Amino acid sequence: MTEAALPAPVAAPAVDRERLTAIGFVLPSFVIIAGVFALPLVLLLGVSIVDANGLTLAHYKRLLGTPYYLGVIWNSLRLGLLTTLIAFLISYPAAFALARARGPLRSVLLATLFLPLAASVIVKAFAWTILLRSDGIVNETLMALGIIEDPIRMIFTETALIVGAVNIFLPFMILPIYAIVAQLDPRYAEAAATLGASPVGTFFRVILPLTLPGIIAGVALVFSLSVSAYVVPTLLIGEKYPTLATMIAKAYLLAREPGFGAAAGVVLLGIAIAVVALSARLSQEPK
Amino acid sequence: MSEATPHLVVRGVSKRYGPTTVLDHIDLTIRRGELVTLLGPSGCGKTTLLRAIAGLAQPDTGKVELAGRNITNVPPHKRNVGVVFQSYALFPHLTVAGNVAFGLKVRGAARREIDAAVERALSLVKLGHLAGRRISALSGGQQQRVALARAIAVEPDVLLFDEALSALDRKLREEMQVELRRLLQDVKATAIFVTHDQDEALTMSDRVAVMNKGRIEQLAEPRELYLRPASLFALNFVGLSTRIPGTVLAADNGKVDVETKVGRMSALGNFQTGASVIVAARPEQLRLGEQGEANSAAGRVRSVVFQGSRTLVEVDAGAGESLLAELSGRDGAIPRVHDEIRLSWPVAETFAFPMEVQT
Repeated sequence: MTEAALPAPVAAPAVDRERLTAIGFVLPSFVIIAGVFALPLVLLLGVSIVDANGLTLAHYKRLLGTPYYLGVIWNSLRLGLLTTLIAFLISYPAAFALARARGPLRSVLLATLFLPLAASVIVKAFAWTILLRSDGIVNETLMALGIIEDPIRMIFTETALIVGAVNIFLPFMILPIYAIVAQLDPRYAEAAATLGASPVGTFFRVILPLTLPGIIAGVALVFSLSVSAYVVPTLLIGEKYPTLATMIAKAYLLAREPGFGAAAGVVLLGIAIAVVALSARLSQEPK
Repeated sequence: MSEATPHLVVRGVSKRYGPTTVLDHIDLTIRRGELVTLLGPSGCGKTTLLRAIAGLAQPDTGKVELAGRNITNVPPHKRNVGVVFQSYALFPHLTVAGNVAFGLKVRGAARREIDAAVERALSLVKLGHLAGRRISALSGGQQQRVALARAIAVEPDVLLFDEALSALDRKLREEMQVELRRLLQDVKATAIFVTHDQDEALTMSDRVAVMNKGRIEQLAEPRELYLRPASLFALNFVGLSTRIPGTVLAADNGKVDVETKVGRMSALGNFQTGASVIVAARPEQLRLGEQGEANSAAGRVRSVVFQGSRTLVEVDAGAGESLLAELSGRDGAIPRVHDEIRLSWPVAETFAFPMEVQT
């Protein structure tokens, strides 16, 4: 009887100590995340649903009920979707090339990918304005070669915006895909081939599904970065392409409408969360 | 097609990687339903030969024919071969059944046909109850079986195993060797195994090709390979042996007399007088004491290793030479370490090989 009862009081403190240790480890990061991320978001949410008269949904009604603002939301989505799609189309083959590269070539390629991350977004966006403006390098070169007679209008067009955004966010697509591709056992493709799959069949039935986690990570990163980009649209296209991010800045800094700005911020956050949650779902293994 | 017609023919296949010759004019003919092992140390070219047959490595010269078809320039997906890889290479995003169905799906087989073939293949490897499992939920032995079922399901003209059992632990591997051989014979598969494990080669195959430096040194049935090794390399690679260097004193009609540091010996072999040779014998041929028509040597017992049904006795014969005898308890008393003993072995079971020039 005592034998059966004995282990319990001995084991209990050990488990408690383990739990305490675990809590001790988690606590600092919990405090940081709660204080630095969660609290401001709660405040943001709070500001978005009050005005001078108390609680209200007026800011959201204005944002989602006015065609102009719906256009702004669409601009943000369009920027995010186009940037993500084009970045993916460039990154997927690039990640394979990177994984195939050996020795010094691989180091050089990786360095060219990492180095731009060290430069500020503002610097890179300005660099694009210098390249693309009417008397910029691209136009001068094309005219010098006699390919065009008059400068093409590139800066402050959607093309400039997308080109700049793709360039700036590209590493965030290539790197996660590369991380998966570099781990991919070449035997999978060989096994598929010996089982009778053509190269195209092997790609769609084996390579693409196996690299999907990298694609999803890259898409989630690049989409959430580009949909909320502020510097890139401000410098490369400006007033005529208002996005949620540029509009939020204006609401706070110029119009002094923190409630409306906060509501736009919540919508933007909602879009980003939706995409990340969807990605997380997709990257879970089926069954 | 009759059993005797050549099913897989490899003719004059060579392959170089940079300055290294990996395959050196390989000729190999395999009959339908035959189980053949490519046996050799790492780097001997056995895996490259397997990959050349599968179409995963393109030979520089030579020809590969399978089931009467020249497949030398046919891409792997049109060869109808089945490969079981060392790492299995099972698709982690598919279930067990999905893996087995893969080959039939990409061939555009009908749904009902696929289901039937998957069920048949999985029941062959006794994994029918795991059809819906994920690959990551399987043990190593189970994964091995799925890889086999996946390769068999498409009814390939030849099954190729690249060190397919080497990832399993010893006991499981030995069980799989016997089971796999029976299974392949049941479905009348033609198969080639690549391995560096001589036990696996002797257990599983109808014939063994011993490979060394990109060449096939000997292609023979396991028993013949052991009893009549064609080269010093084959002798060394399969089984144990006593090897004593010497010089040919006299040669006569397939028999030579050799002067060694531990005495004069007779052996089978064709050499010119004065040639440097190695005289060799298998350990079970060595007996305690004298016998007729035999070579013999004496020495002090260096070690005695009891191995159950037999005991391995190593004898220091002096002059840096040693003898290795495998004695069974029935032969009488087993000597002890430091005993002075004499061992003898029949001339008819003594071979002479040319001394290999080490490169």
